[in-house]
Amino acid sequence: MTDLLQLVFAGLAQGSVYGLVALGFVAIFAVREIVNLVQGEYAALAGLSAISAVGAGLPLVVAVLVVIPLVMGIAVLLERLTIAPIKKMTPLTSIILTLGVSTAVKAIMLLIWGPEAKGLPTFPGSDMTIGGVSIRSQELWVLGISVIVAYATIWFYEHTIRGKSLRACAEQPVAARLVGISPRTATVVAFAVAGFTGAVAGVVGSPIYLSSWQSGLSLGLKGFVAATLGGLTSLRVAMFGGVLLGVLENLVAGYLSSGYRDAVAFVVLVLVLLFRPHGLARKTSGVRV
Amino acid sequence: MNPMLKRQLPFLGLAVAMLLFGLLAPHQMVDVGIWALIYGIAAIGLSLLMGLAGQVSLGHAAFIAVGAYTQALLVGNAGWNPLLAAPVAVVASMLVALLVGLPLLRLRGHFLALATLGLGIIVGVFVNEQEFTGGTSGIFGLPNLEFGGRSYDTAQEYFLLLTPVVVIGLWLANNVVHSRTGRALSAVNDSEVAAECLGVDTFALRLRVFVLSAAYAGLSGVFYTHWLTIVNPSVSHFELSVKILLMVVLGGLGTVWGAVIGAIAVQLLDEGLREIIPVLIPSAKGEIQLIGFGVVLVLVIILMPGGLAQLWNKLRSAVQERRHPIIRGEHEHPISQKEQRELLEESLTLLARSDHMPAGQIILKIRGLTKRYGGVTALDHLDLDVKAGEIMALIGPNGAGKTTAFNMITGVLPPTEGSVVLQGIEVAGKQPHVAAAIGATRTFQNLQTFKSTTVIGNVKVARHLRSKAGLLRGMLLLDRAEEKLIDEASQAAIDAMGLTALADKPIADLAFGKQRQVEVARAMALEPSVLLLDEPMAGLSGPERDSLSWLLRRVKDSGVTVLLVEHDVAAVMALADRVAVLDDGKLISLGTPAVVTSDPKVIAAYLGEEDSDTNDSTAGATAAAPTTAIPATGGPA
Repeated sequence: MTDLLQLVFAGLAQGSVYGLVALGFVAIFAVREIVNLVQGEYAALAGLSAISAVGAGLPLVVAVLVVIPLVMGIAVLLERLTIAPIKKMTPLTSIILTLGVSTAVKAIMLLIWGPEAKGLPTFPGSDMTIGGVSIRSQELWVLGISVIVAYATIWFYEHTIRGKSLRACAEQPVAARLVGISPRTATVVAFAVAGFTGAVAGVVGSPIYLSSWQSGLSLGLKGFVAATLGGLTSLRVAMFGGVLLGVLENLVAGYLSSGYRDAVAFVVLVLVLLFRPHGLARKTSGVRV
Repeated sequence: MNPMLKRQLPFLGLAVAMLLFGLLAPHQMVDVGIWALIYGIAAIGLSLLMGLAGQVSLGHAAFIAVGAYTQALLVGNAGWNPLLAAPVAVVASMLVALLVGLPLLRLRGHFLALATLGLGIIVGVFVNEQEFTGGTSGIFGLPNLEFGGRSYDTAQEYFLLLTPVVVIGLWLANNVVHSRTGRALSAVNDSEVAAECLGVDTFALRLRVFVLSAAYAGLSGVFYTHWLTIVNPSVSHFELSVKILLMVVLGGLGTVWGAVIGAIAVQLLDEGLREIIPVLIPSAKGEIQLIGFGVVLVLVIILMPGGLAQLWNKLRSAVQERRHPIIRGEHEHPISQKEQRELLEESLTLLARSDHMPAGQIILKIRGLTKRYGGVTALDHLDLDVKAGEIMALIGPNGAGKTTAFNMITGVLPPTEGSVVLQGIEVAGKQPHVAAAIGATRTFQNLQTFKSTTVIGNVKVARHLRSKAGLLRGMLLLDRAEEKLIDEASQAAIDAMGLTALADKPIADLAFGKQRQVEVARAMALEPSVLLLDEPMAGLSGPERDSLSWLLRRVKDSGVTVLLVEHDVAAVMALADRVAVLDDGKLISLGTPAVVTSDPKVIAAYLGEEDSDTNDSTAGATAAAPTTAIPATGGPA
């Protein structure tokens, strides 16, 4: 029982990192119908930059507060440079394009930080044991910050004018344009939001799960799987899906073999698409006849 | 020269060029060439997947790895003859693709891409973790290939061994593109709904192409194994997947030749980056050429989305234009009505089928057909029997539910409830190709033509169900006799519509009304039992309308049932045997044109007497046209 609780708790923390990445996928897909494969890179980049900032002598808090807006800026800049110039975006184009960007970013990170995985120092606090379950303070930080960020993101979309206008833009692009919401602004905001949740995932997760030039790949994939649970359009389900995936992964790693941890996301993806494809895939209402 | 033979010439040219290169080029260049060819084989397969199925695999290295590891295990551990092991290795890759594609290819969009990305990770984890695959160090000490008294252990020998494999592989892939399967999938990429309504089973064809692309990757893995003589987890890595993808994108989508050209270009780029990057950035190590791959991938998509093939085509058409300047504005010779009718009689004998249901029997039985969108009911419990051999028209104001009914009958939309029985078979909620296979096809209110091809290219897709060459027959060019029949039947359908002069024109160059006629020709080419036409008269000139009406009567006489949605009430009343009137999702009147035009409910619906939302501009607009049209035909009682 203690084992189970231990695994579930560790899974909750790890899963909320996936959830944060998933929020970024949804933020962009809801506005542009693009699966942004750079999403995982935001997290890796934030983690590695923060490590360097701390290494350069900045206090942890300052490092984190500097890195997050930096990554948001990079996310928007990359969108302006690569996605904005494309006139006719098809799913195939968007995948190849964002894969290209993600590949280049990975390689640049390899160049700057080298191949080894590194971790950010843990946030302040002391580890504890409750009922036999050992809880790392960083895991509490991860959980707490994830909950706050997730609520803030959802609140932004549902209760602020800017957020509502973004959703309008996704649902009725022409109508949104007519009432003066620019799709360009909507895209920029979406990428900023995606950069934000990705960067937060990167810095809070780094002390436990480490950051490396290639950590964005599997993080991105898991975030995508979580986002798929919400049909790529529901922020709530995406966050919840991430947590669920994290717990499942830890259970599989604990009870079967740690080697199969990375297979869980893939199996979940296939199972979900197999059994609930219409409930989860966004209805492609593009075809009007 | 026979155009069929002429099409094979470039392959001969490629073979000769590769032989010369293999024999004459310096050893170091040949070595680069070998890698270009090994990965090129995989790129050809990926190019088929992307160009035809419109899907992308981001983990194509996984399929190379499955082939490579299977070959290594069978040859290295089990001591099989490499030539026996190779087919098994290829089949292993195909099986993995089948398992992945079966659940995922049903879905549109991004899912296959991300799932294959995941597959790449899993295969990497698997071979790393398992003992029988040798863990991180992999399987080594594998033999060079040896058969027919030769050992393929030098670069030159291996290159010359690869040459026929690549040329034949490219030739087969190119044949697929021009086969029945290739034509159907390319139509799907232009308009999935139209292709499905012509009987194309998108999922089944995509799955086949995906499995075929994995076969190419598996074969690439086999050659990888015997050249490197060691297989380790790096063969499954993300970097290789990106590299293969870059080969296809840089070479140019839509032509398998692009894959080979792209493979050479990327391999050279790879070598170049390995030399240059350490000079520019001394600290660089590892897979740093990835920067180059990523940047080139992005630049190609932004600046040259058609890849090198696009560049080549531009050059070629520029040269051709200089040699044979195209005379613009050439005259089409419109044929006389008499000539057209003669052509039609001829075509009808070609397109006529004798297995239609006897006239008068119920061919289409609709019960309780309903579509709701949230609180809005677009169609409300429609009950309708359509008899074989009649022309039934569906009319009603805008938003009455006519097109919604069409969409549910043809499987384009699943109904909320109700049933559609076509020739005794339930089709409600099934894919459009199911209804097409039972003999019902349609045209579309908003044009759904296959924009990337010509008029005849559009019509040929409709012969999909009337031909049966599979992927293999198409690959081996054993489909020529059948292709000839497809050509003839398609030409007949075009002649019947009086479009003979336009047959080889790109459809996108045609006027709206002409494109609509092509859609009718296309639907007729399927030889349907039930022909559903959604506003076929819109955009047609007066004479064109007359000639379409005449044609529909002739089609009806040959035993085909016609169901049409039309706003031109005068034309409908003159043409239809029976008319069904929908208003606000409900069937309000049904009967002969004379009965319907005198039905007070119909007049009310069109004039808007009962529900007087006069401030609704659309209702006003639609009411205007029919009020003048109804008295013009029968006249209200």
